[in-house]
Amino acid sequence: MGVIEVKNFHKSFGSKHIHRGVEFSVKQGECLGLIGGSGAGKSVILRSLIGLEKPDKGNIFIDDVDITYMNEDQLIDIRKKVAYVFQGGALFDSMSVYENLAYPLREHTRLSEVEISQKIYAILEEFGLEGNEKIYPSNLSGGMQKRLGLARAIIINPKFVLYDEPTAGLDPYNTRRIQDMILRLKSKGVTSILVTHDMPSAFAVCDRIAMLKNGHIAAQGTRSELDSSRGGIIHNFINGEEP
Amino acid sequence: MISVAQNFGKSLIDLFYLVGGVYLLFQKSLSETLKRPFYFKLIIDQIYHIGIRSTWLVLATAMSTGMVMTLQYGYGLEKFGGKLYIPKLVALSIVKEMGPVFTSLMLAARVGAGIASEIGSMKVTQQIDAIRALGTSPIKKIVIPRILATLICLPLLTVLADTVGILGGLLVGVTELQMDSAFYVQKVFDSLTIQDYAIGLGKTVVFALVISTVACYFGMKANSGTRGVGIATTQSVMTSSIIIVVSDFFLTKLFWLVTQWVS
Repeated sequence: MGVIEVKNFHKSFGSKHIHRGVEFSVKQGECLGLIGGSGAGKSVILRSLIGLEKPDKGNIFIDDVDITYMNEDQLIDIRKKVAYVFQGGALFDSMSVYENLAYPLREHTRLSEVEISQKIYAILEEFGLEGNEKIYPSNLSGGMQKRLGLARAIIINPKFVLYDEPTAGLDPYNTRRIQDMILRLKSKGVTSILVTHDMPSAFAVCDRIAMLKNGHIAAQGTRSELDSSRGGIIHNFINGEEP
Repeated sequence: MISVAQNFGKSLIDLFYLVGGVYLLFQKSLSETLKRPFYFKLIIDQIYHIGIRSTWLVLATAMSTGMVMTLQYGYGLEKFGGKLYIPKLVALSIVKEMGPVFTSLMLAARVGAGIASEIGSMKVTQQIDAIRALGTSPIKKIVIPRILATLICLPLLTVLADTVGILGGLLVGVTELQMDSAFYVQKVFDSLTIQDYAIGLGKTVVFALVISTVACYFGMKANSGTRGVGIATTQSVMTSSIIIVVSDFFLTKLFWLVTQWVS
Protein backbone atom coordinates (compact mmCIF):
# COMPACT_ATOMS: atom_id res chain seq x y z
CA MET A 1 0.00 0.00 0.00
CA GLY A 2 1.36 3.41 -0.98
CA VAL A 3 1.40 6.59 1.07
CA ILE A 4 -0.18 8.37 -1.90
CA GLU A 5 -3.02 6.50 -3.58
CA VAL A 6 -5.15 7.66 -6.48
CA LYS A 7 -8.14 5.44 -7.22
CA ASN A 8 -10.53 5.57 -10.18
CA PHE A 9 -9.87 9.30 -10.73
CA HIS A 10 -12.30 10.96 -13.16
CA LYS A 11 -12.27 14.62 -14.15
CA SER A 12 -13.99 16.59 -16.88
CA PHE A 13 -13.81 20.21 -17.95
CA GLY A 14 -17.05 21.06 -19.70
CA SER A 15 -17.66 18.34 -22.26
CA LYS A 16 -13.99 17.33 -22.27
CA HIS A 17 -13.46 14.14 -20.30
CA ILE A 18 -9.77 14.35 -19.32
CA HIS A 19 -9.38 11.52 -16.81
CA ARG A 20 -11.24 8.23 -17.09
CA GLY A 21 -10.24 6.19 -14.09
CA VAL A 22 -6.61 7.05 -13.31
CA GLU A 23 -5.07 4.74 -10.71
CA PHE A 24 -1.60 4.78 -9.22
CA SER A 25 0.18 4.73 -5.91
CA VAL A 26 3.49 5.99 -4.55
CA LYS A 27 5.41 4.23 -1.80
CA GLN A 28 7.11 5.89 1.17
CA GLY A 29 10.34 7.61 0.05
CA GLU A 30 9.69 6.90 -3.61
CA CYS A 31 9.78 9.44 -6.45
CA LEU A 32 7.21 8.80 -9.19
CA GLY A 33 7.62 10.51 -12.55
CA LEU A 34 4.31 11.36 -14.20
CA ILE A 35 4.69 11.93 -17.93
CA GLY A 36 2.33 12.33 -20.84
CA GLY A 37 1.52 14.56 -23.77
CA SER A 38 0.50 18.20 -23.37
CA GLY A 39 -3.09 18.43 -22.16
CA ALA A 40 -3.08 14.87 -20.81
CA GLY A 41 -4.06 16.22 -17.38
CA LYS A 42 -0.86 15.62 -15.39
CA SER A 43 -1.01 18.94 -13.55
CA VAL A 44 -4.71 18.46 -12.76
CA ILE A 45 -3.88 15.23 -10.95
CA LEU A 46 -1.05 16.93 -9.10
CA ARG A 47 -3.32 19.84 -8.08
CA SER A 48 -5.95 17.36 -6.91
CA LEU A 49 -3.44 15.77 -4.55
CA ILE A 50 -3.55 18.89 -2.36
CA GLY A 51 -7.19 19.71 -3.00
CA LEU A 52 -6.67 22.58 -5.43
CA GLU A 53 -8.99 20.65 -7.77
CA LYS A 54 -11.70 18.14 -6.91
CA PRO A 55 -12.21 14.95 -8.91
CA ASP A 56 -15.65 14.30 -10.38
CA LYS A 57 -15.36 10.71 -9.23
CA GLY A 58 -12.78 8.56 -7.47
CA ASN A 59 -10.67 8.93 -4.34
CA ILE A 60 -7.32 10.30 -3.28
CA PHE A 61 -5.58 9.02 -0.17
CA ILE A 62 -2.65 10.74 1.49
CA ASP A 63 -1.16 8.74 4.37
CA ASP A 64 -4.30 6.55 4.40
CA VAL A 65 -6.54 9.62 4.79
CA ASP A 66 -9.18 10.19 2.11
CA ILE A 67 -8.76 13.87 1.18
CA THR A 68 -11.14 13.81 -1.79
CA TYR A 69 -14.05 15.67 -0.28
CA MET A 70 -12.29 17.59 2.44
CA ASN A 71 -13.13 21.29 2.76
CA GLU A 72 -10.52 24.06 2.81
CA ASP A 73 -10.24 24.04 6.62
CA GLN A 74 -9.70 20.28 6.73
CA LEU A 75 -7.14 20.50 3.94
CA ILE A 76 -4.87 22.83 5.93
CA ASP A 77 -3.31 19.91 7.83
CA ILE A 78 -2.79 18.00 4.58
CA ARG A 79 -1.19 21.03 2.92
CA LYS A 80 1.28 21.35 5.80
CA LYS A 81 2.71 17.95 4.96
CA VAL A 82 2.28 18.02 1.17
CA ALA A 83 4.32 20.74 -0.55
CA TYR A 84 3.53 21.87 -4.08
CA VAL A 85 6.20 23.32 -6.34
CA PHE A 86 4.45 25.39 -9.01
CA GLN A 87 5.71 25.44 -12.57
CA GLY A 88 6.05 29.22 -12.63
CA GLY A 89 7.09 29.45 -8.98
CA ALA A 90 3.82 31.24 -7.98
CA LEU A 91 5.97 33.50 -5.82
CA PHE A 92 4.29 36.40 -4.04
CA ASP A 93 5.43 39.33 -6.15
CA SER A 94 4.56 41.92 -3.51
CA MET A 95 6.93 40.26 -1.04
CA SER A 96 10.71 40.07 -1.01
CA VAL A 97 12.59 36.77 -1.24
CA TYR A 98 12.92 36.82 2.57
CA GLU A 99 9.20 37.43 3.09
CA ASN A 100 8.29 34.66 0.63
CA LEU A 101 10.38 32.21 2.63
CA ALA A 102 9.09 33.49 5.96
CA TYR A 103 5.45 33.06 4.90
CA PRO A 104 5.02 29.33 5.66
CA LEU A 105 7.19 29.56 8.77
CA ARG A 106 5.10 32.38 10.26
CA GLU A 107 1.87 30.61 9.37
CA HIS A 108 2.61 27.11 10.52
CA THR A 109 5.37 27.19 13.12
CA ARG A 110 5.86 28.84 16.48
CA LEU A 111 9.41 29.90 15.68
CA SER A 112 10.62 33.27 16.90
CA GLU A 113 11.68 35.88 14.32
CA VAL A 114 15.31 35.14 15.16
CA GLU A 115 14.83 31.43 14.50
CA ILE A 116 12.90 32.18 11.30
CA SER A 117 15.73 34.41 10.15
CA GLN A 118 18.33 31.69 10.87
CA LYS A 119 16.28 29.12 8.97
CA ILE A 120 15.84 31.46 5.99
CA TYR A 121 19.54 32.32 5.73
CA ALA A 122 20.39 28.61 5.95
CA ILE A 123 18.03 27.66 3.14
CA LEU A 124 19.13 30.63 1.02
CA GLU A 125 22.66 29.30 1.22
CA GLU A 126 21.57 25.73 0.55
CA PHE A 127 19.72 26.82 -2.60
CA GLY A 128 22.42 29.21 -3.81
CA LEU A 129 20.28 32.30 -3.24
CA GLU A 130 22.35 34.03 -0.57
CA GLY A 131 22.50 37.82 -0.84
CA ASN A 132 19.12 38.02 -2.57
CA GLU A 133 16.89 38.16 0.49
CA LYS A 134 15.83 41.77 -0.05
CA ILE A 135 15.17 41.36 -3.76
CA TYR A 136 11.65 40.96 -5.17
CA PRO A 137 10.91 37.80 -7.19
CA SER A 138 10.44 39.71 -10.47
CA ASN A 139 14.11 40.72 -10.31
CA LEU A 140 15.34 37.12 -10.07
CA SER A 141 16.31 34.97 -13.03
CA GLY A 142 14.06 32.07 -14.07
CA GLY A 143 16.36 29.52 -12.43
CA MET A 144 16.49 31.47 -9.19
CA GLN A 145 12.70 31.81 -9.15
CA LYS A 146 12.34 28.05 -9.53
CA ARG A 147 14.82 27.44 -6.73
CA LEU A 148 13.05 29.97 -4.51
CA GLY A 149 9.69 28.31 -5.24
CA LEU A 150 11.19 24.97 -4.24
CA ALA A 151 12.82 26.45 -1.13
CA ARG A 152 9.53 28.04 -0.02
CA ALA A 153 7.66 24.78 -0.56
CA ILE A 154 10.02 22.66 1.53
CA ILE A 155 11.02 25.11 4.27
CA ILE A 156 8.61 23.58 6.78
CA ASN A 157 9.94 20.06 6.09
CA PRO A 158 6.99 18.45 4.31
CA LYS A 159 6.61 14.70 4.09
CA PHE A 160 5.57 14.84 0.43
CA VAL A 161 6.59 17.12 -2.43
CA LEU A 162 4.70 17.52 -5.70
CA TYR A 163 6.79 19.02 -8.49
CA ASP A 164 5.00 20.57 -11.48
CA GLU A 165 7.61 20.79 -14.26
CA PRO A 166 10.35 22.16 -12.00
CA THR A 167 12.96 22.18 -14.77
CA ALA A 168 10.82 23.58 -17.60
CA GLY A 169 12.60 26.40 -19.42
CA LEU A 170 15.84 26.10 -17.48
CA ASP A 171 19.37 25.89 -18.87
CA PRO A 172 21.33 22.64 -18.27
CA TYR A 173 23.21 24.07 -15.28
CA ASN A 174 20.05 25.17 -13.46
CA THR A 175 18.30 21.93 -14.45
CA ARG A 176 21.13 20.03 -12.80
CA ARG A 177 20.85 22.13 -9.65
CA ILE A 178 17.12 21.43 -9.38
CA GLN A 179 17.77 17.71 -9.94
CA ASP A 180 20.36 17.76 -7.15
CA MET A 181 17.92 19.44 -4.80
CA ILE A 182 15.21 16.88 -5.56
CA LEU A 183 17.69 14.06 -4.97
CA ARG A 184 18.82 15.66 -1.69
CA LEU A 185 15.19 15.75 -0.49
CA LYS A 186 14.69 12.19 -1.65
CA SER A 187 17.69 11.06 0.35
CA LYS A 188 15.99 12.53 3.42
CA GLY A 189 13.02 10.20 2.85
CA VAL A 190 10.66 12.68 1.18
CA THR A 191 8.04 11.01 -1.04
CA SER A 192 7.45 12.86 -4.28
CA ILE A 193 5.71 13.02 -7.64
CA LEU A 194 7.42 14.75 -10.52
CA VAL A 195 5.35 15.94 -13.46
CA THR A 196 7.69 16.67 -16.33
CA HIS A 197 8.45 16.57 -20.03
CA ASP A 198 12.15 16.65 -19.27
CA MET A 199 13.06 12.98 -19.61
CA PRO A 200 16.74 13.25 -18.53
CA SER A 201 15.53 14.81 -15.26
CA ALA A 202 12.84 12.16 -14.84
CA PHE A 203 15.44 9.42 -15.32
CA ALA A 204 17.88 11.19 -12.99
CA VAL A 205 15.54 11.47 -10.02
CA CYS A 206 12.56 9.12 -10.42
CA ASP A 207 12.38 5.54 -9.16
CA ARG A 208 9.41 4.78 -11.34
CA ILE A 209 7.74 6.48 -14.31
CA ALA A 210 4.03 6.38 -15.17
CA MET A 211 2.58 7.60 -18.42
CA LEU A 212 -0.81 9.26 -18.65
CA LYS A 213 -2.60 8.72 -21.94
CA ASN A 214 -6.24 8.76 -23.01
CA GLY A 215 -7.38 9.53 -19.48
CA HIS A 216 -5.65 6.72 -17.63
CA ILE A 217 -2.19 5.38 -16.74
CA ALA A 218 -1.24 3.63 -19.97
CA ALA A 219 2.07 2.24 -18.73
CA GLN A 220 4.43 2.43 -15.78
CA GLY A 221 7.69 0.92 -14.70
CA THR A 222 11.22 1.43 -13.40
CA ARG A 223 14.04 2.79 -15.55
CA SER A 224 15.37 -0.70 -16.28
CA GLU A 225 11.89 -1.98 -17.15
CA LEU A 226 11.43 0.92 -19.57
CA ASP A 227 14.83 0.35 -21.15
CA SER A 228 13.95 -3.26 -21.84
CA SER A 229 10.54 -2.46 -23.30
CA ARG A 230 11.56 -1.30 -26.78
CA GLY A 231 8.49 -0.43 -28.82
CA GLY A 232 6.53 0.13 -25.61
CA ILE A 233 4.35 3.18 -25.13
CA ILE A 234 6.76 5.07 -22.83
CA HIS A 235 9.76 4.16 -24.92
CA ASN A 236 8.06 5.57 -28.01
CA PHE A 237 6.97 8.72 -26.15
CA ILE A 238 10.52 9.35 -24.95
CA ASN A 239 11.90 8.93 -28.45
CA GLY A 240 9.37 11.29 -29.97
CA GLU A 241 7.56 8.56 -31.84
CA GLU A 242 3.80 8.09 -32.07
CA PRO A 243 3.11 6.12 -28.88
CA MET B 1 -36.14 38.39 -32.21
CA ILE B 2 -34.74 35.04 -31.09
CA SER B 3 -31.22 36.44 -30.73
CA VAL B 4 -32.57 39.36 -28.65
CA ALA B 5 -34.31 36.87 -26.38
CA GLN B 6 -31.13 34.74 -26.24
CA ASN B 7 -29.02 37.76 -25.30
CA PHE B 8 -31.53 38.80 -22.66
CA GLY B 9 -31.56 35.25 -21.28
CA LYS B 10 -27.75 35.14 -21.20
CA SER B 11 -27.57 38.51 -19.46
CA LEU B 12 -30.08 37.32 -16.90
CA ILE B 13 -28.08 34.14 -16.23
CA ASP B 14 -24.88 36.23 -15.91
CA LEU B 15 -26.70 38.47 -13.43
CA PHE B 16 -27.75 35.47 -11.33
CA TYR B 17 -24.16 34.18 -11.37
CA LEU B 18 -22.89 37.59 -10.29
CA VAL B 19 -25.41 38.00 -7.47
CA GLY B 20 -24.90 34.41 -6.31
CA GLY B 21 -21.10 34.65 -6.55
CA VAL B 22 -20.86 37.95 -4.69
CA TYR B 23 -23.28 36.69 -2.03
CA LEU B 24 -21.32 33.47 -1.49
CA LEU B 25 -18.03 35.36 -1.26
CA PHE B 26 -19.55 37.78 1.25
CA GLN B 27 -21.03 34.94 3.29
CA LYS B 28 -17.71 33.07 3.34
CA SER B 29 -15.87 36.24 4.33
CA LEU B 30 -18.35 36.90 7.11
CA SER B 31 -18.00 33.39 8.51
CA GLU B 32 -14.18 33.55 8.40
CA THR B 33 -13.86 37.05 9.85
CA LEU B 34 -14.29 35.88 13.43
CA LYS B 35 -12.15 32.76 13.07
CA ARG B 36 -8.46 32.65 13.96
CA PRO B 37 -5.88 33.60 12.80
CA PHE B 38 -6.44 37.36 12.56
CA TYR B 39 -4.25 39.42 10.24
CA PHE B 40 -4.36 42.92 11.74
CA LYS B 41 -1.23 44.04 9.89
CA LEU B 42 -2.83 43.24 6.56
CA ILE B 43 -5.86 45.36 7.52
CA ILE B 44 -3.59 48.27 8.48
CA ASP B 45 -1.75 47.94 5.13
CA GLN B 46 -5.05 48.04 3.28
CA ILE B 47 -6.27 51.04 5.28
CA TYR B 48 -3.18 52.85 4.02
CA HIS B 49 -3.71 51.79 0.39
CA ILE B 50 -7.49 52.18 0.31
CA GLY B 51 -8.02 55.09 2.68
CA ILE B 52 -4.98 57.28 3.04
CA ARG B 53 -3.90 57.05 -0.60
CA SER B 54 -7.42 57.99 -1.75
CA THR B 55 -7.56 61.15 0.37
CA TRP B 56 -6.43 63.66 -2.25
CA LEU B 57 -8.78 62.29 -4.89
CA VAL B 58 -11.71 62.46 -2.49
CA LEU B 59 -10.78 65.94 -1.27
CA ALA B 60 -10.46 67.32 -4.80
CA THR B 61 -13.80 65.81 -5.81
CA ALA B 62 -15.57 67.07 -2.68
CA MET B 63 -14.13 70.58 -2.95
CA SER B 64 -15.11 70.85 -6.59
CA THR B 65 -18.61 69.48 -5.93
CA GLY B 66 -19.24 71.93 -3.10
CA MET B 67 -17.97 74.88 -5.11
CA VAL B 68 -19.90 74.04 -8.28
CA MET B 69 -23.14 73.31 -6.42
CA THR B 70 -22.97 76.60 -4.57
CA LEU B 71 -22.28 78.48 -7.77
CA GLN B 72 -25.16 76.81 -9.62
CA TYR B 73 -27.61 77.28 -6.73
CA GLY B 74 -26.41 80.84 -6.42
CA TYR B 75 -26.97 81.72 -10.07
CA GLY B 76 -30.33 79.96 -10.06
CA LEU B 77 -31.76 81.24 -6.78
CA GLU B 78 -30.42 84.79 -7.02
CA LYS B 79 -33.12 85.63 -9.58
CA PHE B 80 -35.83 84.73 -7.07
CA GLY B 81 -34.17 86.20 -4.00
CA GLY B 82 -33.47 82.72 -2.65
CA LYS B 83 -29.78 83.17 -1.89
CA LEU B 84 -30.54 82.72 1.81
CA TYR B 85 -31.27 79.08 1.23
CA ILE B 86 -27.98 78.25 -0.45
CA PRO B 87 -26.08 77.14 2.70
CA LYS B 88 -28.91 74.83 3.74
CA LEU B 89 -29.34 73.36 0.26
CA VAL B 90 -25.63 72.80 -0.26
CA ALA B 91 -25.06 71.32 3.19
CA LEU B 92 -27.98 68.92 3.03
CA SER B 93 -27.24 67.85 -0.55
CA ILE B 94 -23.62 67.17 0.30
CA VAL B 95 -24.14 65.36 3.58
CA LYS B 96 -27.09 63.23 2.51
CA GLU B 97 -26.29 62.58 -1.15
CA MET B 98 -23.27 64.05 -2.92
CA GLY B 99 -20.70 63.30 -0.23
CA PRO B 100 -21.51 59.59 0.19
CA VAL B 101 -22.26 58.91 -3.48
CA PHE B 102 -19.35 60.80 -5.06
CA THR B 103 -16.86 59.49 -2.50
CA SER B 104 -18.12 55.95 -3.12
CA LEU B 105 -17.92 56.36 -6.89
CA MET B 106 -14.36 57.67 -6.59
CA LEU B 107 -13.43 54.70 -4.42
CA ALA B 108 -15.21 52.27 -6.76
CA ALA B 109 -13.02 53.59 -9.56
CA ARG B 110 -9.73 53.91 -7.73
CA VAL B 111 -9.90 51.20 -5.10
CA GLY B 112 -12.27 48.80 -6.87
CA ALA B 113 -10.06 48.80 -9.96
CA GLY B 114 -6.95 48.37 -7.81
CA ILE B 115 -8.37 45.46 -5.84
CA ALA B 116 -9.77 43.65 -8.89
CA SER B 117 -6.57 44.01 -10.91
CA GLU B 118 -4.29 43.06 -8.02
CA ILE B 119 -6.28 39.96 -7.09
CA GLY B 120 -6.80 39.14 -10.79
CA SER B 121 -3.05 39.26 -11.39
CA MET B 122 -2.47 37.05 -8.36
CA LYS B 123 -5.06 34.61 -9.70
CA VAL B 124 -3.58 34.29 -13.18
CA THR B 125 -0.03 33.93 -11.83
CA GLN B 126 -1.19 31.16 -9.45
CA GLN B 127 -0.41 33.22 -6.33
CA ILE B 128 -3.92 32.57 -5.01
CA ASP B 129 -3.31 28.84 -5.54
CA ALA B 130 0.01 29.23 -3.72
CA ILE B 131 -1.75 30.81 -0.73
CA ARG B 132 -4.04 27.77 -0.62
CA ALA B 133 -1.23 25.29 -1.27
CA LEU B 134 0.74 26.78 1.64
CA GLY B 135 -2.15 25.95 3.95
CA THR B 136 -3.63 29.43 4.27
CA SER B 137 -6.91 30.97 3.21
CA PRO B 138 -7.10 33.52 0.37
CA ILE B 139 -10.35 34.77 1.93
CA LYS B 140 -8.53 35.60 5.16
CA LYS B 141 -5.34 36.84 3.53
CA ILE B 142 -6.80 38.76 0.61
CA VAL B 143 -10.54 39.36 0.82
CA ILE B 144 -11.28 40.11 4.48
CA PRO B 145 -8.54 42.77 4.95
CA ARG B 146 -9.83 44.62 1.88
CA ILE B 147 -13.47 44.46 2.94
CA LEU B 148 -12.71 45.61 6.49
CA ALA B 149 -10.37 48.37 5.33
CA THR B 150 -12.97 49.70 2.88
CA LEU B 151 -15.63 49.52 5.61
CA ILE B 152 -13.42 51.59 7.91
CA CYS B 153 -12.15 54.07 5.32
CA LEU B 154 -15.19 54.94 3.24
CA PRO B 155 -17.29 56.44 6.07
CA LEU B 156 -14.24 58.37 7.34
CA LEU B 157 -13.44 59.67 3.87
CA THR B 158 -17.07 60.65 3.47
CA VAL B 159 -16.99 62.72 6.67
CA LEU B 160 -13.88 64.41 5.30
CA ALA B 161 -15.55 64.93 1.92
CA ASP B 162 -18.67 66.40 3.56
CA THR B 163 -16.58 68.88 5.51
CA VAL B 164 -14.43 69.90 2.55
CA GLY B 165 -17.47 70.13 0.27
CA ILE B 166 -19.23 72.48 2.67
CA LEU B 167 -16.03 74.55 3.01
CA GLY B 168 -15.82 74.72 -0.81
CA GLY B 169 -19.38 76.00 -0.84
CA LEU B 170 -18.52 78.57 1.82
CA LEU B 171 -15.54 79.74 -0.23
CA VAL B 172 -17.64 80.30 -3.35
CA GLY B 173 -20.54 81.74 -1.33
CA VAL B 174 -18.26 84.38 0.15
CA THR B 175 -16.12 85.21 -2.88
CA GLU B 176 -18.56 84.81 -5.78
CA LEU B 177 -21.99 85.35 -4.22
CA GLN B 178 -20.94 87.97 -1.67
CA MET B 179 -22.50 86.09 1.25
CA ASP B 180 -21.47 86.66 4.84
CA SER B 181 -19.26 83.82 6.08
CA ALA B 182 -20.67 83.85 9.63
CA PHE B 183 -24.20 83.69 8.22
CA TYR B 184 -23.22 80.81 5.92
CA VAL B 185 -21.66 78.80 8.73
CA GLN B 186 -24.55 79.49 11.08
CA LYS B 187 -27.06 78.34 8.46
CA VAL B 188 -25.10 75.15 7.83
CA PHE B 189 -25.08 74.30 11.54
CA ASP B 190 -28.77 75.12 11.87
CA SER B 191 -29.70 72.93 8.91
CA LEU B 192 -27.77 69.76 9.62
CA THR B 193 -28.82 67.19 12.18
CA ILE B 194 -27.13 64.01 13.40
CA GLN B 195 -29.82 62.15 11.49
CA ASP B 196 -28.61 63.68 8.21
CA TYR B 197 -25.08 62.49 8.89
CA ALA B 198 -26.36 59.06 9.91
CA ILE B 199 -28.25 58.71 6.62
CA GLY B 200 -25.18 59.63 4.59
CA LEU B 201 -22.83 57.42 6.55
CA GLY B 202 -25.33 54.55 6.61
CA LYS B 203 -25.23 54.54 2.84
CA THR B 204 -21.44 54.42 2.80
CA VAL B 205 -21.44 51.23 4.88
CA VAL B 206 -23.52 49.52 2.19
CA PHE B 207 -21.43 51.07 -0.61
CA ALA B 208 -18.19 49.95 1.06
CA LEU B 209 -19.41 46.35 1.17
CA VAL B 210 -20.47 46.59 -2.48
CA ILE B 211 -17.18 48.08 -3.73
CA SER B 212 -14.88 45.70 -1.87
CA THR B 213 -16.87 42.48 -2.28
CA VAL B 214 -17.58 43.06 -5.97
CA ALA B 215 -13.92 43.92 -6.67
CA CYS B 216 -12.68 40.83 -4.79
CA TYR B 217 -15.23 38.67 -6.59
CA PHE B 218 -14.17 39.79 -10.06
CA GLY B 219 -10.49 39.54 -9.13
CA MET B 220 -10.93 35.99 -7.85
CA LYS B 221 -12.85 35.07 -11.00
CA ALA B 222 -10.23 36.45 -13.42
CA ASN B 223 -8.76 34.06 -15.94
CA SER B 224 -7.26 34.05 -19.46
CA GLY B 225 -4.09 35.95 -18.57
CA THR B 226 -3.64 39.71 -18.71
CA ARG B 227 -6.75 40.20 -20.85
CA GLY B 228 -8.80 38.50 -18.15
CA VAL B 229 -7.35 40.88 -15.54
CA GLY B 230 -8.37 43.87 -17.67
CA ILE B 231 -11.89 42.50 -18.10
CA ALA B 232 -12.19 41.81 -14.36
CA THR B 233 -11.09 45.36 -13.56
CA THR B 234 -13.56 46.97 -15.97
CA GLN B 235 -16.42 44.75 -14.82
CA SER B 236 -15.67 45.49 -11.19
CA VAL B 237 -15.78 49.28 -11.64
CA MET B 238 -18.88 49.13 -13.86
CA THR B 239 -20.80 46.80 -11.57
CA SER B 240 -19.95 48.69 -8.36
CA SER B 241 -20.80 52.05 -9.93
CA ILE B 242 -24.16 50.82 -11.23
CA ILE B 243 -25.05 49.22 -7.89
CA ILE B 244 -24.08 52.42 -6.02
CA VAL B 245 -26.15 54.68 -8.27
CA VAL B 246 -29.19 52.38 -8.36
CA SER B 247 -29.13 51.37 -4.71
CA ASP B 248 -28.79 55.02 -3.65
CA PHE B 249 -32.45 55.58 -4.53
CA PHE B 250 -33.63 52.58 -2.54
CA LEU B 251 -31.38 53.39 0.40
CA THR B 252 -32.65 56.97 0.46
CA LYS B 253 -36.20 55.64 0.50
CA LEU B 254 -35.32 53.07 3.18
CA PHE B 255 -33.61 55.60 5.46
CA TRP B 256 -36.50 58.01 4.97
CA LEU B 257 -38.94 55.31 6.09
CA VAL B 258 -36.73 54.47 9.06
CA THR B 259 -36.53 58.12 10.16
CA GLN B 260 -40.30 58.42 9.81
CA TRP B 261 -40.73 55.32 11.92
CA VAL B 262 -38.27 56.50 14.57
CA SER B 263 -39.77 59.99 14.85
